[in-house]
Amino acid sequence: MKLFGKKMMAAAGIVLLAAFTAAAAGCGGSSDQKAASSAVSADSAVQKIKDNGVLRVGVKVDVPLFGYKNPQTGQIEGFEIDLAKAVAKKIFGDENKIQMVPVTAKTRGPLLDNGEVDMIAATFTINEQRKQQYSFTNPYYTDPVGLLVKKSDNIHSLKDLAGKTIAVPQGATTRKAVEDAAKKEGITVSFAEFPTYSECKAALMSGRAAAYAMDQSNLHGYVDAETEILPDSFAPQEYGIAMKKDNAGFRDYVNQVLTDMKNSGEMDQLLKKWTLNK
Amino acid sequence: MISDVFQSYNILFLLEGLKITLEIGVGSIICSVIFGTVLGVSCHLKIPVLGQISTIYIDIIRNLPCLLLVLVVRFLTPLPPVWSGIAAMSIFTAATMAEVVRGGLNAIPKGQYEAAHSQGMNHYQIMRYIVLPQAYRNIIPPMMSEFTTIIKDSSFVWAVGTEELTGKGMILIGKYSETGQLFAIFGTVALIYFILNYSLSLLARWEYRRLRV
Amino acid sequence: MAEVFADYKWAALFDDRGIFLEGLVTTLEVAVFALILALVLGVIFGIAGVFPKTWVRIINRIYVEFFQNTPLVIQAIFLYHALPHLHIMIPVTAIGILGVGIYSGAYMSEVFRSGINAVPRGQLESGLSQGFGYWQAMWHIVLPQARRTILPALGNQAIAIVKNTSVLAMIAGGDLMYVSDSWSGMNMYYGPAYLTTGIIYWVICFTMTKYVKRLEQKGAVG
Repeated sequence: MKLFGKKMMAAAGIVLLAAFTAAAAGCGGSSDQKAASSAVSADSAVQKIKDNGVLRVGVKVDVPLFGYKNPQTGQIEGFEIDLAKAVAKKIFGDENKIQMVPVTAKTRGPLLDNGEVDMIAATFTINEQRKQQYSFTNPYYTDPVGLLVKKSDNIHSLKDLAGKTIAVPQGATTRKAVEDAAKKEGITVSFAEFPTYSECKAALMSGRAAAYAMDQSNLHGYVDAETEILPDSFAPQEYGIAMKKDNAGFRDYVNQVLTDMKNSGEMDQLLKKWTLNK
Repeated sequence: MISDVFQSYNILFLLEGLKITLEIGVGSIICSVIFGTVLGVSCHLKIPVLGQISTIYIDIIRNLPCLLLVLVVRFLTPLPPVWSGIAAMSIFTAATMAEVVRGGLNAIPKGQYEAAHSQGMNHYQIMRYIVLPQAYRNIIPPMMSEFTTIIKDSSFVWAVGTEELTGKGMILIGKYSETGQLFAIFGTVALIYFILNYSLSLLARWEYRRLRV
Repeated sequence: MAEVFADYKWAALFDDRGIFLEGLVTTLEVAVFALILALVLGVIFGIAGVFPKTWVRIINRIYVEFFQNTPLVIQAIFLYHALPHLHIMIPVTAIGILGVGIYSGAYMSEVFRSGINAVPRGQLESGLSQGFGYWQAMWHIVLPQARRTILPALGNQAIAIVKNTSVLAMIAGGDLMYVSDSWSGMNMYYGPAYLTTGIIYWVICFTMTKYVKRLEQKGAVG
């Protein structure tokens, strides 16, 4: 009986491992093929999207001005949505051949990995660690990290947060940015991480956290009568559109779209449209 | 003002979440009942290979947290959000369902098989006319109480940003910050879950009594 | 998607193993205390469920029905995000213990209730006629007899408790699931993180499952 138990345990363990590896390998096979084709040229990467008939883009739905699902119309709109539409227009000649997949800071990387989306345009900050795993276009927007606090808490700068807890979303670069800034100030802070932005805000309001740190553009959607964004801002975050690491061909293609938009003045118009021109 | 929370657009917003909860719930119930029955039956009959695979499957999945499966399925498969939720919940609950089925089948006395066999019935006939009707009685009520668990556990898909009922509730929590408003939101969400699950468990109990008579 | 499990990601995980270990310790801590709480609540409310007085049985029903029919996620989020507005700030580890403990207590009380119900009523009555008080008769005569049916079911609940502690990941609870989420959220190395986390949960729960099976077999024989 005992022997059987041990055997079972070992067998089950092996199968568990095998299942995970199979999942990894199975998907690996398809991405290798993609790598082979996209390494040749941007054309084949674009051809693949053309064959799908639609550009699949991971976007935010809870960041006003960037990617926001308008509760009145049910439409997703924002600066990043318009950028994605411009890419779709370049590929298909029709900006509506686009499928928007809502992502969070936590899910956007994995959804790119697993092939659910062709690209991510979702306030995705470019950094070294991410560049190791994904292909990024040139930045299209720069946004510093800010701190949202309750007015009643009497917090006026990052220094006032010494020893306190700061709410940050999982999967964002914010934690690292604030950690570095705090180190510079010579203070220590602790962090509470939540799966979504609304929970960060809830943590601030319930007093679980003394501040909610996030890119300022994201924070603007959460300011209300009781809260304010501190004038302190640090670590400018550069947003780029991201593709799979092996999809550099498509990256170059989208980069060209962005450059063309800059040169033609279309980019400035969009920034103005979304009141993001500083 | 608490009444701000009960504006029609907020109610509609929550109902949208309820719709997704129900989609995931119903989808997972159907898939896990089918999948769980296949697993449970092949374990019980000790079907070569399939039986062993089923046992191993049950042993693996039953010992993992639901939240982990939700994350893994969402991150490793290119399924759209609701389908990914259904897949994760079905993978998870099928293991429990399989245990229920296996337990129900094992509770049928061995003598009945032998008797049926001596009557010249084949395997399929024994299953169809002797075993399943009895097993149905042992299996259906506990299976139905698992439905409640599915509805409750589906709230884990909010961790991957799928806006089901819990998610919609949390988004509202992020928007309103007065104490009364928060309690109203929590109360409403909890009440919706309660009504849904309590009706399901009443149904399970009613079925249990009906089958015992 | 082989890059999801790339070697350098495993190396990073190994370097940061301390973080995962801390999470595991929190998970075990919460699980153990939640189990104790759930057992205590289970016994109390289980007996309440068969108590002669109607109002006591009603309290049992309210407790069981409420906690069995609303998601643990909602309960935990409520304790974490809403109670502070009433100036009740429970530390997050305590929320794990209370939340999971009270939730599982509802299931355990049903286990105790049905276990007690399975013992013939005459047993309690004969105990009472022997001069035992109600609680004494319950404790010394009825519960020991119910043990055989109760123990395996309690074991399954204990396993559920370990799995349910992962709800803490949704309220920054510092448990194994949370640290795994947090660590992989920073660097996107979720492949190795989730696989490792899965194996750890699995080893804990599988060991418990085997133990419960042994209890079941003993119960069936003895």
